Amino acid sequence: MNIQLQTYIKVAAIAMPLFLLSACKVEPILDPNNPDATGIVVNASLSELQNLADGSESGMRESLGAYYDDLCVIGREYYRFSTSDPRFTSDLLGKSSAVLDNNTFYLTNPFAARYRVIRNTNILIDALTSTKAPITDLQRKAGIAYAKTIQAYQLLSVFNLLYNNGVRVDVKDPDKLGPFLNLQQSLDAIIGLLNEANTDLKGNTADLPFTTTLYARNAAQFSKFNRALSARVAIYKQDWTAANAALTDSFLDLNGDLTTGVFHLFSAAGGDQLNPLFYPRNSSGETRVAHPSFVTDAEVGDKRLSKVTLRTSAAFQDALQSNYDFYLYKTNVDPIPIVRNEELVLILAEVKAQLGVTADAVTAINTIRKAAGLTDYAGATDKNSLITEILKQRRYSLFGEGHRWIDLRRYNLLSQLPIDRPDDNVWMQFPIPANE
Amino acid sequence: MTKKTKQLLYLLAFLFPLAVIAQVPISGVVVDVRNNPLSGVSVRVRNTNTGTTTDATGRFALSAPDKTGTLEFSNVGFKTQAISLNDATDNISITLNEDVGKLDEVVVTGMASSIKRSNSANAVASVSSKLLTGTTVQPTMDAALYGKFTGSNISANSGAPGGGISVKLRGITSLVANSQPLFIVDGVYYDNSSIVPGLNLVSKAAGQGNTNFQDNQSNRIADLDPEDIDRIEILKGASAAAIYGSRAAAGVVIITTKRGKTGKPNIEVSTAIGTQWQLKKLGQREWTEAKVQSAYGNTGVPLYRAANGRTYDYEKELYGQTALMRNARLSVSGGNEQTKYFIGFTSKDDEGIVKRTGYEKTSFRLNLDQKVTSFIDASVNANYVSSTADRGFFNNDNTSTTLGVAYVATPSWINLFPDANGNYPDNPLAPSNFLQTRDLITNREKVERILLGGTATWKILNIGKHDLRFIARGGLDQYTLNTIGIFPRELQFQKNGNGTNGASIYGTTLSKGTNFNGFLVHTFDVSNNLNLRTQVGVTAENLDQDNVINSATQLIGTQTNLGQAGAIQVAETKTVQHDRGFVVQEELNYRDMLLLTLGVRGDKSSRNGDADKLYYYPKGSIAFNINKLGSWNSSVISLLKVRAAYGQSGNFAPFGAIYSPLVPTVFNGSTGSLITLTRGKNTLNPERQTELEFGFDAGLFNDRITLEATYYKKDVEDLILNVAVPTSSGFSLAWNNVAAIENRGIELALNATIIQSKNLRWTQTTNFWKNKAKVTRLDVPAFNTGGFGATLGTYRVEQGKSPTQIVGIGVAADKVDPATGLATYGNGEPDFNLSAYHDIIYKNFEFSFLLHWKKGGDNINLTTLLSDIFGTSRDFDSKSLDPAGQKINGDYRLAALGSTARPWVEDASYFRVREMGLSYRMPRSWFRNIAGVKVGVSARNLINVFKYSSYDPEVSNFGSNAISSSVEVTPFPSAKSVHFNLSVNF
Repeated sequence: MNIQLQTYIKVAAIAMPLFLLSACKVEPILDPNNPDATGIVVNASLSELQNLADGSESGMRESLGAYYDDLCVIGREYYRFSTSDPRFTSDLLGKSSAVLDNNTFYLTNPFAARYRVIRNTNILIDALTSTKAPITDLQRKAGIAYAKTIQAYQLLSVFNLLYNNGVRVDVKDPDKLGPFLNLQQSLDAIIGLLNEANTDLKGNTADLPFTTTLYARNAAQFSKFNRALSARVAIYKQDWTAANAALTDSFLDLNGDLTTGVFHLFSAAGGDQLNPLFYPRNSSGETRVAHPSFVTDAEVGDKRLSKVTLRTSAAFQDALQSNYDFYLYKTNVDPIPIVRNEELVLILAEVKAQLGVTADAVTAINTIRKAAGLTDYAGATDKNSLITEILKQRRYSLFGEGHRWIDLRRYNLLSQLPIDRPDDNVWMQFPIPANE
Repeated sequence: MTKKTKQLLYLLAFLFPLAVIAQVPISGVVVDVRNNPLSGVSVRVRNTNTGTTTDATGRFALSAPDKTGTLEFSNVGFKTQAISLNDATDNISITLNEDVGKLDEVVVTGMASSIKRSNSANAVASVSSKLLTGTTVQPTMDAALYGKFTGSNISANSGAPGGGISVKLRGITSLVANSQPLFIVDGVYYDNSSIVPGLNLVSKAAGQGNTNFQDNQSNRIADLDPEDIDRIEILKGASAAAIYGSRAAAGVVIITTKRGKTGKPNIEVSTAIGTQWQLKKLGQREWTEAKVQSAYGNTGVPLYRAANGRTYDYEKELYGQTALMRNARLSVSGGNEQTKYFIGFTSKDDEGIVKRTGYEKTSFRLNLDQKVTSFIDASVNANYVSSTADRGFFNNDNTSTTLGVAYVATPSWINLFPDANGNYPDNPLAPSNFLQTRDLITNREKVERILLGGTATWKILNIGKHDLRFIARGGLDQYTLNTIGIFPRELQFQKNGNGTNGASIYGTTLSKGTNFNGFLVHTFDVSNNLNLRTQVGVTAENLDQDNVINSATQLIGTQTNLGQAGAIQVAETKTVQHDRGFVVQEELNYRDMLLLTLGVRGDKSSRNGDADKLYYYPKGSIAFNINKLGSWNSSVISLLKVRAAYGQSGNFAPFGAIYSPLVPTVFNGSTGSLITLTRGKNTLNPERQTELEFGFDAGLFNDRITLEATYYKKDVEDLILNVAVPTSSGFSLAWNNVAAIENRGIELALNATIIQSKNLRWTQTTNFWKNKAKVTRLDVPAFNTGGFGATLGTYRVEQGKSPTQIVGIGVAADKVDPATGLATYGNGEPDFNLSAYHDIIYKNFEFSFLLHWKKGGDNINLTTLLSDIFGTSRDFDSKSLDPAGQKINGDYRLAALGSTARPWVEDASYFRVREMGLSYRMPRSWFRNIAGVKVGVSARNLINVFKYSSYDPEVSNFGSNAISSSVEVTPFPSAKSVHFNLSVNF
């Protein structure tokens, strides 16, 4: 090798590393268009915590239209007529060979929307855990308990659809999702989550580190919402004692306003959502009309019949007919209840009936009947009769709030639901979505 | 000399470059084969800095250091000629032959180096300025490229003035990420974004059926003035483009603009006046009352009767504007040994075939080259462009408001003309009166763009066998794009609760791109036979784009000011990107016979999940000129080269794919943050392309005929898709690397001088190319994409199939796959392309033309569907389709709706005479030898042959989308044009 070549190699050997070293470092660029979920969990400000809470409560409203349509159409509370989609009257009512599909909007949309809120509240929990914002430890605990309460409610909504198919509870790591639990495990997990949250809420005098539209900001007060949900899940599990205990700590008020409760809020402000269950009266094409049996099965004078209104002309679709509009929501910004005192009173009646405390059960039933403009209960007071009466009161008091199907399912009475067309079927539950 | 002193000498040479004292005077004249003097020919002593260029009379003079060495004469388009200095005298005459096979043309091999084509290991396509703009006037830069080189699938999105074109090089390189090549103009990264003007607010095209925007926007390469371009090189795949690393997967188009040459000023003034008209008229349906009854029912009949037999030729009214096109051009160039300059100025004003549409552009360019010292050269390029495109309102909608949809929705007997007071009647059969829409709306793109580039070359060392240079480049590309959409409230579809009482959509995009790079290039002549070239360099590119669209509705009166509105929405999208990289490359040249290249680029980018991670893109190539073998002795075969090249390049995920943002939501009088539906992936890899190319080049009869044959295999791995995920994760979709595509193709280019005599010279280039793409990996279930669902035909990405296959629902006769319920109806990819360029010079006449045949490739034609639905198709009543001879065409096609997608998938083959020009160069003696005057007439798309049933098979409703770029929904029809040209050269 000659000298020139050696020099050549030397020059190259010196020049190259010099150049490579000067190749600068590239700093990551944060998303210039949106707040980043990975950034907010590092050191969230108070206002970012507020944004996450608001976002979660807003997200809880997503796809509620499809969710309530699922529950109420299968529970034969109302029909959902739609010119653009025949599946509300075929799939949901089990028309002839139609089945509940595992990849159709009526299942996938509400399912995804609930887990999206769970993801958002997990981000809120991470943000609360790491934040250096000026909040007390009690506030931090209350905030996390708030997030868990919401998660439990979202899981319960999924459970209501999937029932025997269970729910996936462990979704903390999107890359390592836990298994679908069975029915009992699912209920236990939801109850566990609520109890875990309540430990940090009960007796906690601190305020949540953000405002909420869910019952109250004060942690101890918020606990009453948690307990109300807990009472509901306990009766699904037929754990009457636990339900009784939960009721005591909830916002149950036998003598109070039955409409008191916790609600999803809507408004007509730009960008906000409208109540998806509202259609103007006498709508055609897209409408919800009451199942005819709701009117025919009612006792005379039941004020709760105001939840439906007589149409100027009957609504028809797919060999189904109704003269009554579903008119639970009078405007497009009416709130949709999550849990109300009326339900708690009915849970009390059911719990007392199940525990054999007949007098208390009848008192609770009569509270409901009185409010509905009916005379006191005069039927038999054996457990079965009382339960029959309670289920009827639940049907009217909680009409359109998605309870009928669930109630008959948990008492194994789905066969009592009216069949409108000879080949219709009543479903037990929805399948697990295809993408799972 | 000891080693140490030698090194010291090198060091000194770094600091004090040596000056060489000139001694031997040489002069002469350079002419072409027809004895015409050639100006601007570079005359240079090989491997030195001694050189000059010829003047307008072809003369040159220089002084060489001594009588040893070689004197080289080179000029673009001519074969380089060399003579020994020993033979040089003070009055030599050199004749240069035209380089028909372009073998002496210089092609790039690195970011700071180039090589003669005859030594290149890649089939680099190139387009000269003569081929680009020599035949006819080009409306935009992008429109000037079709059919001019192999391996490309170039398609206009519509006939709207101001451009809009999809360029795909060697097949499909991405599914959802960028599919358009990287454009580099004189070393400056040139942004080619296609920015949506927000017309969806009115058209609502995105939503039902397809969520992509369909606003028919142009892309920004249209801003470049084709007249300024000296040559274009196209690096089609990774084997050639690897050195551009992570942005080069869709290919790289390297544009070099014209520069001044030594000599007295060369002034060129040219002007062209032309007109354009609709390329193909479809005609309107002939009506009878019975047909009206069947098409429009009881609402139509009284209207038809009231018309009393009167009909209107709306196709002529809407698409029949006699469009005037005007182009004026001035360029001045010249310079001396120290300074060279080029000034180019273009003013263009083209009207479209639709009234109130058109394209205006003013472009000014100044390119300067300066020898700063004997060892530093610098050059600066500056370009300012101001353009305005009025593009009408076309393509798909879901509101029947675009001109195209409203036109097919309106039968010829409805009167839409304004009354004497200028009041337009409402269209009784459609939601909009397209004449009113045409006359009142504005859809304008306004661009102000500045491009600045600079290069400095520092000749650090030129001693003995070593030449070391440092080349620094910087560039700035900055523009403001204003998109202005005005829909006044008196429009039928805006008033009386039909719309939003007017809409004023005002978009502003500020885009700023900068790039810098520095290279050390070391050339080392180890011996007379062996030459090594090393380059190392660092690169940096930044992009900062901010797009704001203000959409005002509920307008006050005729006001368009955003403040004069009852409601306003704002949307902002920012794109920020920082890239850093380095390049190392080594080239070896053994006697121009064996040429080896090895190189690697390393790239970091903020677009990657790990911004600081280096991704490597290697390349390697080998070329062997068999004819340079000592034993080679053929009088017929003058060139025979075999070559192979390998390389990798990358492509970023769509912007934002690495983020999992929180999106805003309004709640209870406040705003909340909710996790997005699409999960970003911060470990996303860039898409990576690996290309292997090989082929041979052959020259016959002293290269009078040359053939370039290439086969390539290009694999794109780690393709990125937004895939459905278990929604219990809280997300519905997630970005992931899930697919791979393979492209294989062949490319043939045949150049020949057919006749070469004193008075007549006839040259031609024929290009043939073919590509086959296949999805080779798909980790998600096959899915439909693009188009408007399986009912009307859709693209389907499926393992083992072409990514551009078109499928749809079907009946038994369509051979439906029972598993999917879908039948295959076609493929967007052409079977092959064949183009031919001929240039015939007879005495002072020059005739040139460009033919282009695209065989195969299918479109989804929904213009026909909409015309049928509204009963207005020209052939509605013919009976040419139904095999049973029962149904008329309209009914036959409509009967298929919902059962088969077959009628809407059509063969989009075409044969076109894309360009044709005849010119006459008047003898200089007519003008006392002061000026050269050329007159000519030229045409674009004058002859078109296609079976496709709509306006033009070259169309794209979705713009330059990666896959779905051949769907038609009532586009702005394309046009043909004729120009008269006059140019004067002083």
